[in-house]
Amino acid sequence: AGITFPERPKLKFMDKVPAVPKVRREPRQLRDIRGPSREATDFTQGQYGILALGGGYLHWGHFEMIRLTIGRGMDPKTTFAIWRVPAPSKPVTRKSLGHRMGGGKGPIDRYVTAVKSGRLVVEVGGRCEFEEVKPFLAQVARKLPFPAVPVSRRGLQQMRREEEEKRLNNQNPWTFERVVAANMLGMRKYLSPRDLQLKGRYWGKFFLKHRV
Amino acid sequence: APAAKMAARSGGAAWRRGWLPALQFVRRGSKAVTRHWKAMHFQRQKLMAVTEYLAPRPAVPPRCLAPRKETLEEDDGYVRLLRRQVEEVFRDNRMIAICQYNSMPDEDVVLMRHYLRKHNIEVKFVLNEIVRPVLSQSKYKNLLPLFVARNILLVSPETKAKEMLRVLKGVPQINLLGACIDDTILSRQGVENFAKLPSLEASQGQTAGALALLPSQTSSLLQRGSAHLTALLDQHIRRLQAGETGSPAEPAPAQSLGAH
Repeated sequence: AGITFPERPKLKFMDKVPAVPKVRREPRQLRDIRGPSREATDFTQGQYGILALGGGYLHWGHFEMIRLTIGRGMDPKTTFAIWRVPAPSKPVTRKSLGHRMGGGKGPIDRYVTAVKSGRLVVEVGGRCEFEEVKPFLAQVARKLPFPAVPVSRRGLQQMRREEEEKRLNNQNPWTFERVVAANMLGMRKYLSPRDLQLKGRYWGKFFLKHRV
Repeated sequence: APAAKMAARSGGAAWRRGWLPALQFVRRGSKAVTRHWKAMHFQRQKLMAVTEYLAPRPAVPPRCLAPRKETLEEDDGYVRLLRRQVEEVFRDNRMIAICQYNSMPDEDVVLMRHYLRKHNIEVKFVLNEIVRPVLSQSKYKNLLPLFVARNILLVSPETKAKEMLRVLKGVPQINLLGACIDDTILSRQGVENFAKLPSLEASQGQTAGALALLPSQTSSLLQRGSAHLTALLDQHIRRLQAGETGSPAEPAPAQSLGAH
């Protein structure tokens, strides 16, 4: 009912290196891992997907693993899968082993894509049930560098609803955002300015699910 | 944590030229985003501990409330099938005996089943939660109190109570609770009495014989008068024949005729 099948049901092959490899080495910019994701948080074409519950970088090895595992698990005649992350484009450098510090920035080692928490990695859809898709999605989710879970549309809605309910029926009068916004007890001395938006649910690249 | 470091100001010259911040934060340690779990400042740990989620507690703790019986009537197809089977059993068979079942060794169960099978009695294991609703809706309401704890049904299209009792006597773990034979509910005593009765065929034969006795007597009854008369006449004739030789034979048939 209202499911549009893409042209190719299987996942597209992602390049290791973008078509135009970057010459200039980029700064690390770990802020693309930190905090909640703003893009690809909702389902588009598919019904089930893998939700990232932490930040991390996906490189070509991860892409191949995902592509092959999902390709093995799904039936191309009835189901399809689509990427919700772009191909690796961020160059990551690495110095050769055994050398001392100094001597400039290392050469580009590989390309990665940054994934923030709350982002969908792949979507699977078609004429299938969640129970059929869950095994291989869980297998993939275990192997990712960040914690991830397979979700369905309904499951995601339920998660969000539960979070909202938790936030509303919290009996604790002292919430992180209240303390930070009012700078009670001078807490902002020990917190980052980003904690105003992160509200204590994120710490580094980790997403603290049990908070608030 | 941003530690403050007072800038060493060169007199007031720098203060007049531009401005220098009074506090300069020294950033030491790792970056904000690390692969490992970065150690939090103690104050931050305290803040995280204070601002944890507190779940709402119900006014009455659930321990004090009576346990809710979950009436989840999902009505499985399996349950429906079992109910249908029980209804069929009650419809098809003439004799249904309910026995209490205590755990028996498996081989004894098999032996008992074998013996009962020889007399065309089947052993059925039933679940109370399926049988109870079926019975309460049918006419066998009085069998309801029997279906408590583990029990089995011995069903048969023929009523062979004596053989059944004999087999059950040899098996101490199965106790007869009651039976429903030909839509009559019998207790244990009733079943024993029923077993003592002669079998149906014998009793039918007896009844037929008893009933046929009277019609068989009817013809002899009807003929009794004339038969008596013929007998007397024969006797008279014999006496006359005997009385030809002597005279005292004459008043005897006259007396007998007068008495008659």
